[in-house]
Amino acid sequence: MQKSWRDSALLAYALAILAFLYLPLLILALYSFNDSRINAVWSGFTFRWYASLLNNQRVIEALTNSLIIATISTLVTTTLGTMAALALNRYKYKFKGVINGLLYLPILIPEIVMGLSLLVLFSQTGIALGKGTLVVAHITFCISFVIITVGARLEGMRKDLEQAASDLYATPWQTFRYITFPLALPGIIAGALMSFTLSIDDFIISFFVAGPNSTTLPLYIYAMVKRGISPEINALSTCMMCATISLIVISQLLQPQHKSAKK
Amino acid sequence: MKKTSYVVVTLLACLVLLITGCGNSGSKSADKATQNGKEKQVLNLFSWADNFSPEVLAAFEKKYNCKINYDVFANNEELLAKIQAGGAQYDVIQPSDYMISTMTKLNLLEKLDKSKLPNTANIVKSLQTPAFDPKGEYSVVYTWGMTGIVYNTKYVKQAPTSWQDLWNSDYKGRVILLNDSREVFGMGLKKHGYSNNSTNKAELDEAYADLKALAPSVLAYDTDTIKQKFIAEEAWIGMMWSGDAYFTQKDNPNIAFVIPKEGTVIWADTFAIPKGAKHKELAEKFINFMYDPKISAQNYEYIGYNDPNEKAREFHAKEFLDNKILKLAVDKVAQGEWLKDIGEAITQYDKYWTELKTIK
Amino acid sequence: MRNGKLLVAPAMLWLSLFFAVPLLIVVLVSFATRTPYGQVIFKFTLANYQRFLEPLYIKIFISTLFTALVTTVITFAMGYPLAYTIAKLPVKWQQPGLILVMVPFWINFLIRSYAWVIILRSQGVVNTLLLNLGLIKQPLALLYNDYAVMLGMIYALLPFMVLPIYVSIEQMDKRLLEAASDLGAPPWTAFRRITLPLTMPGVAAGSILVFISSLGMFVVPDVMGGAKSALIGNLIQNQFLSARDWPFGSALSIVLAVLALLLIMLYYKALQSQEGGASDAKELA
Repeated sequence: MQKSWRDSALLAYALAILAFLYLPLLILALYSFNDSRINAVWSGFTFRWYASLLNNQRVIEALTNSLIIATISTLVTTTLGTMAALALNRYKYKFKGVINGLLYLPILIPEIVMGLSLLVLFSQTGIALGKGTLVVAHITFCISFVIITVGARLEGMRKDLEQAASDLYATPWQTFRYITFPLALPGIIAGALMSFTLSIDDFIISFFVAGPNSTTLPLYIYAMVKRGISPEINALSTCMMCATISLIVISQLLQPQHKSAKK
Repeated sequence: MKKTSYVVVTLLACLVLLITGCGNSGSKSADKATQNGKEKQVLNLFSWADNFSPEVLAAFEKKYNCKINYDVFANNEELLAKIQAGGAQYDVIQPSDYMISTMTKLNLLEKLDKSKLPNTANIVKSLQTPAFDPKGEYSVVYTWGMTGIVYNTKYVKQAPTSWQDLWNSDYKGRVILLNDSREVFGMGLKKHGYSNNSTNKAELDEAYADLKALAPSVLAYDTDTIKQKFIAEEAWIGMMWSGDAYFTQKDNPNIAFVIPKEGTVIWADTFAIPKGAKHKELAEKFINFMYDPKISAQNYEYIGYNDPNEKAREFHAKEFLDNKILKLAVDKVAQGEWLKDIGEAITQYDKYWTELKTIK
Repeated sequence: MRNGKLLVAPAMLWLSLFFAVPLLIVVLVSFATRTPYGQVIFKFTLANYQRFLEPLYIKIFISTLFTALVTTVITFAMGYPLAYTIAKLPVKWQQPGLILVMVPFWINFLIRSYAWVIILRSQGVVNTLLLNLGLIKQPLALLYNDYAVMLGMIYALLPFMVLPIYVSIEQMDKRLLEAASDLGAPPWTAFRRITLPLTMPGVAAGSILVFISSLGMFVVPDVMGGAKSALIGNLIQNQFLSARDWPFGSALSIVLAVLALLLIMLYYKALQSQEGGASDAKELA
């Protein structure tokens, strides 16, 4: 393929946006070495925050809670959401317009309203607050994102492949497993990524439905604001970034060299 | 296949997490922790972040063989909303002064049994029965301070003496106001000599007119990152709490703090026990423990706020007692007025506050 | 499959239990009254909705909707090319590319905002650089204004535009573009009449997600805007916190939801009337 100036311009533009996304992270990483508890201005270089991070049981517990809750809620949300998106796309429902509209509501309702109303619901029905209520709340506000994203993918999908499959006597399950699912997979993964991202950084809803001893990382950080967020958090974020990027690189290297057949 | 390697890596990551998670977290249950078959009591503490010396907390855990679950909140209203909506399971909470009056009116607090809290007699007399809790029945003052004018001596050559100095056009675009409607309007009211709990519409209108004139000069309304703004010298002058001013000055020696002549807000964070607390006895022991003179000295030097415990003076370091900013609050305590719950008038305050924010 | 319809049931069940019921509580509270000390008593009143009609609040709604609209447009302008570039990468680099775009959003938003403050403040990275290069004499006021708020919103919401659009572009049949160029269509025309219409589902999904999300934002106006703008997110936040007026806050939330839903429906109607172009392209396949 000939590379036109358009392709180069596009690439440059995309890289610029990527730089825009990562610039604050670079600053964060830099300031994780700042010798100042309040971390307002640069005061000198130190490693002590990384050291104190390893000893900070509470923040590691908060991080673990966040990751576990995000993983569980992503799994459930993606499953429920994909099923719903499939059904909405394939079948005619009487009140389809209404259902579609209702899907936007969980995102429209401000988080503080959702958090408080969920808290009222839990307390009136006697459900104890804790990690479970956090997972429930996270699933609730993530489902719509998954349904909408997977729905967009399904809408753009060509129906003729499924048609061909059923013409060739494939059962509905086989059609789903070998045709629909692989074709929809990028949409499902996109939905899962969104759900994970939303869950891992939620704090307002989490604040209201968390119980004693189920602090998540965003809650921990948010509450730290009054006394100033210590560079320990910068150190933690830098470690998280490096860990994730390393995982990506490693998984790329682990891949076999042959190309998988494209659709 | 591409997918397999992703799965493998993810599973490995999960495994690592589980190991660190299990290794690090103490008890998972919020109620009872067992150790060698003996039941270990648990205290559920709900407070501001970093509000206790970790050593003091550890000492309490050791002395009474218990575990403290220290959960955090970031502002009073969130604390209230959470307790009001029900289901919160805390034993000790730390509302600020005005929140105590609201919570008592809403019947959300347990009455304190002073016989179980002998150490609280160590507290400075004037703070034992503050205006927001006249009989000292529901709360004990933990930290206190006053709001004043903070300024950077590099840019503000003339030390401010009055709230009016914030309106000085030399500081246009460099003024910070607290992001709190009661504090800001309280300041506006005090400037005219009115009470900062005024519900008189005419007085409020005067305060609002002044603040409206100031609004275009304001760099930002900020309570959370105000220290950073002054340390980084984005702002030159503004409203700040005395405790925060103490910390700001440590990081930037150009910072100075005054209490204006018209008077100001005196505020306190307190201990209180919510109604229906499950571990009330342990909660009382905790509160009592905090006012033991030696413990107080250790605690307050860590958190850097004024120590209300008179008996702790002999255990404090000289430089802590002599710190100008902390001392200033002690000297001027008579000029402070506590913020009270103003009932229905809050709606008018909120309306003016919203309008103030829409001014460009 | 007859039972296929039931696939939607688990999600709907979940939402009706954990969303519809709380939502009902919100609706009920919006018609309730506030006691002087901030409690909610169930005395029916329309006052909360009437209060919304005051000019102050209408002004805030309009300015919020406008900000959300501009944010959506700019996010689209930034997100589409990025999604396109990722979709054009060799297949084995696409998923890592996506995750690379997502990684910043797994880091806490508050501290990323504070990093922006370090970059943009008067003694920050940008100003120090420009001053040292002699390009400016006085530091630029890059923070605590409406532009900073918009920057913050775009920064927060970019992935919600990129992901759905990527998903649509990736599934497009590339042979259509080849056919177009074989027939002599210039690249821009091919984009306008084939790519864009076919990727509309992704664009619509992304735009709606970004638009809706920006309506409720309150952290960005506080941190990047110096808490100087009154957007509907801050207003509602206030009602539940410092103003302790849950009924008014609930009413505002319901009005916000209804207005936004109306706008979305209008958007969909507008898209459907453009469907002509999309179905032409689909039929080519």
